[in-house]
Amino acid sequence: MWHITKREIYDNLNSLRFALTTVLLLALMVTNAVKHLREHPKRVQRYQDAVTESLNHLTDRADDSLYTLAQYGPGNFYKKPSLLHFCANGGESVLPDVVEVDKPPVFMTDAEGNRLLEGIWSLSYPDANLNNKDVGPNVSQVDWAFIIGYILSLIALWFTFDAFSGEREQGTLRLMLANSIPRHTVLIGKFLGALLSISIPFALAVLVNLLLISTASTVHLTTEAWGRLGIIFSLALLYTSLFVALGLLVSARVQQSAVSLMILLLTWVTLVVFMPSTLASIASSFSPATSFDEFWKQRNPIQENLWDKYKEGRSSKSVDRRLRAKSEFYTENAEREERWQEEQLKYRTSQVHRARAITSISPATLLQHLMARFAGTGFERHLQFVENTQRYARQLREFVADTDRADPESLHILGVREGMSKKPISPEAVPRFEDTLNLNRDFNTAAMELLLLTLFVLVLLSGAYLAFVRVEV
Amino acid sequence: MLKTLIRRELLDNLMTFRFAAAVFITLLLVVANTIVLLKDYEQRLTAYNTAVQESHEELRAEKTYSGYSGTLVVHRPPNPLSIFNLGLDKQVGNKIEVYHAFVPTIWDAEKHGADNPFLNLFTSIDIVLVFQGVLSLLALIFAYDALAGERERGTLRLVLTHPIQRGYILFAKYISAMLCLLVPLLISLLLSIILLTTSTTVALNTDDFLRIGGIVLTSLLYVSLFYLIGLCISALTRRTSTALMLCMFVWGVLVLVYPNLILTAVDIVPQPETQISVYHQIKQMWEKLDREKKQFIRNDAVLGPPSRGGEDMDAGFGLEGVEYTFWQGEDKPSILLYFHQTGLYAGKIKAESEPQVPHVQDYYGFYNRETINTVQRTWLVRKPALEAIYIQPANLGRMLLRFSPGGLYDAATEAWAGTGLEGTQDFFSTVQRYRRAVVDYFYDQKIFESRQWFAADKGTADWDTLPQFSFQRSDTGINAKRALPDMLLLLTMNVILFTVIMLIFIKSEV
Repeated sequence: MWHITKREIYDNLNSLRFALTTVLLLALMVTNAVKHLREHPKRVQRYQDAVTESLNHLTDRADDSLYTLAQYGPGNFYKKPSLLHFCANGGESVLPDVVEVDKPPVFMTDAEGNRLLEGIWSLSYPDANLNNKDVGPNVSQVDWAFIIGYILSLIALWFTFDAFSGEREQGTLRLMLANSIPRHTVLIGKFLGALLSISIPFALAVLVNLLLISTASTVHLTTEAWGRLGIIFSLALLYTSLFVALGLLVSARVQQSAVSLMILLLTWVTLVVFMPSTLASIASSFSPATSFDEFWKQRNPIQENLWDKYKEGRSSKSVDRRLRAKSEFYTENAEREERWQEEQLKYRTSQVHRARAITSISPATLLQHLMARFAGTGFERHLQFVENTQRYARQLREFVADTDRADPESLHILGVREGMSKKPISPEAVPRFEDTLNLNRDFNTAAMELLLLTLFVLVLLSGAYLAFVRVEV
Repeated sequence: MLKTLIRRELLDNLMTFRFAAAVFITLLLVVANTIVLLKDYEQRLTAYNTAVQESHEELRAEKTYSGYSGTLVVHRPPNPLSIFNLGLDKQVGNKIEVYHAFVPTIWDAEKHGADNPFLNLFTSIDIVLVFQGVLSLLALIFAYDALAGERERGTLRLVLTHPIQRGYILFAKYISAMLCLLVPLLISLLLSIILLTTSTTVALNTDDFLRIGGIVLTSLLYVSLFYLIGLCISALTRRTSTALMLCMFVWGVLVLVYPNLILTAVDIVPQPETQISVYHQIKQMWEKLDREKKQFIRNDAVLGPPSRGGEDMDAGFGLEGVEYTFWQGEDKPSILLYFHQTGLYAGKIKAESEPQVPHVQDYYGFYNRETINTVQRTWLVRKPALEAIYIQPANLGRMLLRFSPGGLYDAATEAWAGTGLEGTQDFFSTVQRYRRAVVDYFYDQKIFESRQWFAADKGTADWDTLPQFSFQRSDTGINAKRALPDMLLLLTMNVILFTVIMLIFIKSEV
């Protein structure tokens, strides 16, 4: 078997396609690295500036009083840019990179513009990247996901389309089978040979890419990032073997290599280029989103309910009751606001998840999802970020409540100045938001997709085996 | 003689597996995508119609003229030809406010609430994209063995023993292959047009059919260019397998690698920070207006004294009967948008404030006039700055893409469909003209200094006589004019390649 593999590799190393592949992959990977080195520092700088500003807001408010903190909350939350952005950008330009903390709503002012009734903060999720006003041409960025998903798969077909049909044309297949080699050994030898000969230029290009990125002083890759890169590399090999298997399958069945290449190319175009977008369009047209106006219509009656309840409490004689009515009004309003926003987000998320599930039939989309997951970018990462902010928001609210409870002089009416602790709090004690990424979690959720991809490979490989075993030479 | 040659080539091509595969795959992809795209278009059209209706009602609910801020909204209808080339049709906002305090641009437009922005994560598709990928591939598949194959089989030598000019052979090959490629192109287009006409929501007029004709013509040039590229490779190589491999490589580079690689390498991301000084300049103009406004109030004998709240705009000049005052504005440095307006709404002004009303009217006449002048001045600096930030990089990107046939094809079909940057800008220039018309109407009818501007007690705003907004897509002549340069480029490349092939083929030994 090793003989066959070795023979295949030697055969490929001398060919024109090997040289062209190497040049192509190197050009792509170098561009990718240069682009990353140019943009990543800017991205990190922007993130750090934003985080510092938002932290300043938090400390300023904590400095002022517990009430200010309870009313205005923390500053906006920003998504930490991934170190592995160059592996898969995951559509980051479409996704928002911020969860906003809404300013307290003003319900009533007097003639001089003084705020009589002012609520408390709530989280809000911007629709999309609002700064994205680009009217330029729409192309995908050259990241690893593109290079592997489109180029490497094409190269895999390019290396295998004549694996059997070419040898059959030349007559060498008959010669080889005349020896006492079992057919499955020939197949596995061919498979490994093709996979290895593709891995050589790919590994070389990856190496150059990583060398460029890791030696630059502006970007520092952590150990965890290296681990993720390892996973991504093996993913790339798994995905490539899928197309190698497909190439062998078609090549074994078809007599002429030209026909084999044509079938493979048309399959590739359908599978990789058109299926993801067509399926996504189908999936999204199934479930139209509720319009903004409809959401408003659902929401307004609740608002009025709340208002009536407040009016009842306001007319009470006891000061305590009046304050409590105010506090209830504020907190409930903020809660409802948040719940409403969350529901909208959930609805949209489920829509995207449905579309993603349907598009997973195409291995190219599976790869894109997996790459984005392990690179820490894309939609799942965004959801994780949103969850992080929600957890932090709860934590902060609890902190405010606990601090207030610790003060015996306070009336424990949250959200109202008169009802809250007036003791100064140290800004250091306030919990800070930190956006983190969890690899274990990624692994668990990615397992399903990984399994599916492996299944694809196995099915195609056994298909190639069956086709080759039964074919007449 | 030529006829015989063409017949031979045609029969050769028609009876092959690749022809069947070509027809099948193009039909499958085009029909499937037409159905999907049609549904998508219908959804967008429904969203548009609802939005227009809602805005219409919202505006009618306003009792004073100044209330038109934020409620006089115009909507961009989806382009039915976006099914062929989506262009910017979905990407750019489709609702925009018309207000005298800013000049509406493509960047100020927003989206209807109906669509889920996260769905933009998935790549979109249109029929031109299908053609761009599949037809080019098919053209190469038809071309790779045209000369190399005959040379391998020895039939080329046989043909050349007859007294035929080599140019004829080449020409016959070209014509017959193009005829074969036309079949899947035309059948699939015909089917998709039939699907479009059976749908009740899509109304295609004669102009649209002309535009589709333009798209077909461009597709033909594009396919022909790829066929000639394949033929060129076939003429240069000795063996079909090498020719096939090279064809595939060239296809991958031209269609897949080059467009993405070049736009990754060259930075075309808009940089709003570079024009931030313009933003500050605009802000200063508005501050100047603020000072002039305050000066005007101070100089007014009735409104002036601070006791009446004249200094503080929010207090509504102490008019009895003011229900609320409002502050309307935007501050978006990234699109250099800055403006603010103040106003008030009085349901019924009480008798004791009546002498003050003419002064307030005077004030609004002055304020609105100066606002419009300020907007005029800011527009003079905002327009070039916006172009520098957004249009220039976008055009640079499009220019770079034109080095590949796919980019040319995309640009030309976009121009035909009217979904490109220029076609989309047409809508926004119409909106700008409409804003001008509304402002002129307000001037003519003296609405800016009328009582109905802020009070609803003596006659309310009459929205029915307001100029109506209507948008017509540019006529076919303009589409053609925009598409022509790119089509000419495609044609020139075709001619050059054909000449090159001819030279190679005539000189080559068999």
